[in-house]
Amino acid sequence: MSARLTAARAGLVSCEACQLLSRPASAESPGYCRRCGEKLEFRRPASIETTWALVIAAAICYIPANALPVFTTITLGEEEPDTILSGVAFLYSSGSWPLALIVLIASVMIPLGKLIALAYLLITVQRGSIANHKERTRLYRIVEFIGRWSMLDVFVAAFTVALVQLQPLTSVEPGAGVLFFAAVVVITMLAAEAFDPRLIWDAADRQQAPLG
Amino acid sequence: MADEPDSSVLPHAVVTRKKRLRISIIWIIPVLAALVAIGIFIQRIRSEGPTVTIVMKDATGIEAGKTFIRYKDVRIGLVSAVELSEDYTKVLVKAKIAKHAAGLMVADAKFWVVEPRISLSGISGLNTLLSGNYIGFQAGKSSDSQTLFFALDEAPIITDEPGRQFVLKTPTLGSLGVGTPIYYRRLNVGQVTGYTLAPDGQSVDVSIFVHAPYDKYVTTSTRFWNVSGVNITLGADGVNVRTESIAALLAGGVAFDVPEFATGDSKPAPAKSEFTLYRYRAIAMKEPDPVERRYVLYFNESVRGLSIGAPVNLFGLQVGEVTDVGLAYDPKTTVFRPRVIITFYPDRLVSALPTGQRTRTGKSMAQMSPEERIRLLRRIVEEQGLRAQLRTGSLITGELYVAFEYFPDAPKVKVDWSQDPLELPVVPGSLASIEAKLGSILTKIDKMPLDAIGRDVRTALASLDQTLKDANLLVNRVDTQWVPEGTKTLEELRRAIADANQVVKNADTTLFSKDSPAPQDLRDTLQEITRAARSIRVLVDYLERHPDALLRGKPTEKP
Repeated sequence: MSARLTAARAGLVSCEACQLLSRPASAESPGYCRRCGEKLEFRRPASIETTWALVIAAAICYIPANALPVFTTITLGEEEPDTILSGVAFLYSSGSWPLALIVLIASVMIPLGKLIALAYLLITVQRGSIANHKERTRLYRIVEFIGRWSMLDVFVAAFTVALVQLQPLTSVEPGAGVLFFAAVVVITMLAAEAFDPRLIWDAADRQQAPLG
Repeated sequence: MADEPDSSVLPHAVVTRKKRLRISIIWIIPVLAALVAIGIFIQRIRSEGPTVTIVMKDATGIEAGKTFIRYKDVRIGLVSAVELSEDYTKVLVKAKIAKHAAGLMVADAKFWVVEPRISLSGISGLNTLLSGNYIGFQAGKSSDSQTLFFALDEAPIITDEPGRQFVLKTPTLGSLGVGTPIYYRRLNVGQVTGYTLAPDGQSVDVSIFVHAPYDKYVTTSTRFWNVSGVNITLGADGVNVRTESIAALLAGGVAFDVPEFATGDSKPAPAKSEFTLYRYRAIAMKEPDPVERRYVLYFNESVRGLSIGAPVNLFGLQVGEVTDVGLAYDPKTTVFRPRVIITFYPDRLVSALPTGQRTRTGKSMAQMSPEERIRLLRRIVEEQGLRAQLRTGSLITGELYVAFEYFPDAPKVKVDWSQDPLELPVVPGSLASIEAKLGSILTKIDKMPLDAIGRDVRTALASLDQTLKDANLLVNRVDTQWVPEGTKTLEELRRAIADANQVVKNADTTLFSKDSPAPQDLRDTLQEITRAARSIRVLVDYLERHPDALLRGKPTEKP
């Protein structure tokens, strides 16, 4: 594998918005894109720090998102709060295990997987790991792609609350959990956005630089 | 130059210096998230009240996380765990109590399981059919907080409503039960809240609750009686059916009222005071008789049908009752006689008097010394002939009662006025006298010369037989003598007709000879007859068509 020329190594910076390759104004602050006015950066600024902050925030929100009820079903005056996991358990025990699986994957496993994946990427980047670049990049792509689908639960909750208003028989009211859940999804998406996948390769390049 | 970018062609970036923060502002997000999450958890923890343990016999319908504890229909707690006690005999229900209800968990608070209950007096806990059972709660008055409670088997009917509790003593529970209504002037004013067997096992203590404001009508002189079922009285004024309400008819009930004679005394009874539960209204409302005198009566007839409690009447007014029916044996005469002890309430005689007289007579009777009393009695008995008599109260049941009445014709008796209780003279009862009368009638029947009557009847029958035989003879005679006579007569009649025939023939020959003027006349006559016959035919034809013409005549021709 020959040493590849990257913009960073060439001392150039590519605009993230219009992809115009520019010469940075200086090494510390590359300046703004002449063509589109976007702020130029060799790498996303404080990418690791921001991603960490967002990942931690999402992790914190993840706990109440699962502990607090997502919505409260009121049937004839009897309130029954449901968390995501109790909903999964209810779906499973009532026989519709495919639905339970979907909810479990979309609402519990994907956010958690995203958090773990981001944390893994951050740690490996910080440690300057050079292994599995491609896999890690793929993981990043998956995280970025899958993020939007996690809003499923929030949409379901929103629809249910809006539609199931058969007063006084049955009504559904949103719980605090759904806010935290939405926060988890949004924050992990932001975290995925804040992470700069180029960092994965930087370590390899640093390692490879002497070789090349 | 596609491969090698020409650096010189590329524009120079614009430089703007910007002070970099040492810590990125992005950390606000996790801090904020952490603060919110921690805030919610702190609020959760703060809103959580104590956890109490309720010991139950079983956990019917109780589910962890689903069963609530309700007080005044407000949820004050949620069952968090249901487990068995260490010795596996009881169920420990752990419940989280809401913060706002933490102060209610005191030593005398009560828990019980509310489930749907359907009884004759009503349906309760119907909402649990939909919501499932829940744990009911009743606040206590103690101030010692407690976390271990023992659940009641049944809901305490009365919780903390205003009113008062009373205790009714009754020999049997009858149809009373928890929830049996209490009536005051047919208003439902309370209910039976429970019952326990008295410690000696001889009576049942029924605790009742009377709601405010009706509880003030329960005074020290109030009487309670059972209104279960129907009270049917068959009297001279017809059948009288009394029942408090349909619910009471089916489920029983208790009514109370203040008897008329005690209305002046209206001090409200203190809570938990004890009352006697009477069997029915008449007994409950009966005035107690302060003065009672006992007399003994020896009858010379059967006292079958005379029961203890049977009335003793004086001129039809009840003045006492039979308190004992037994047998007396006189060793000297070796005679067994039924002995009846009666109790006499003189006050009743007084109260039956008009108002003005009542006080005077009452006073004079009260002031009467025993000697005076006996003197009065002696005069009534010996001079006016007051006697006791057994009478039949009901011909169907054969119930007897004791009646006192004047029998001036009664034979004089000697009464030992010194004994106690006094023996009063009796006369044979109405039934006994009827028996005697029947006996005398039978004796008379016995004395009738039935044999002679029989003989007479037989002779009469014999003569009747003879008469019938004579009649038969007569009929025979008619048969044998008069019928041949009739035949002969008929024969003669036939002969006479033949003669007449002969005469007519002779006349024929006479009338229709050639030289007589008769033929011409006859011809004319025949023509006349023919004409007449024609007219008759016309008439008959007309009548055939208009038979009504016989009645109405020929209708006049219409123009």
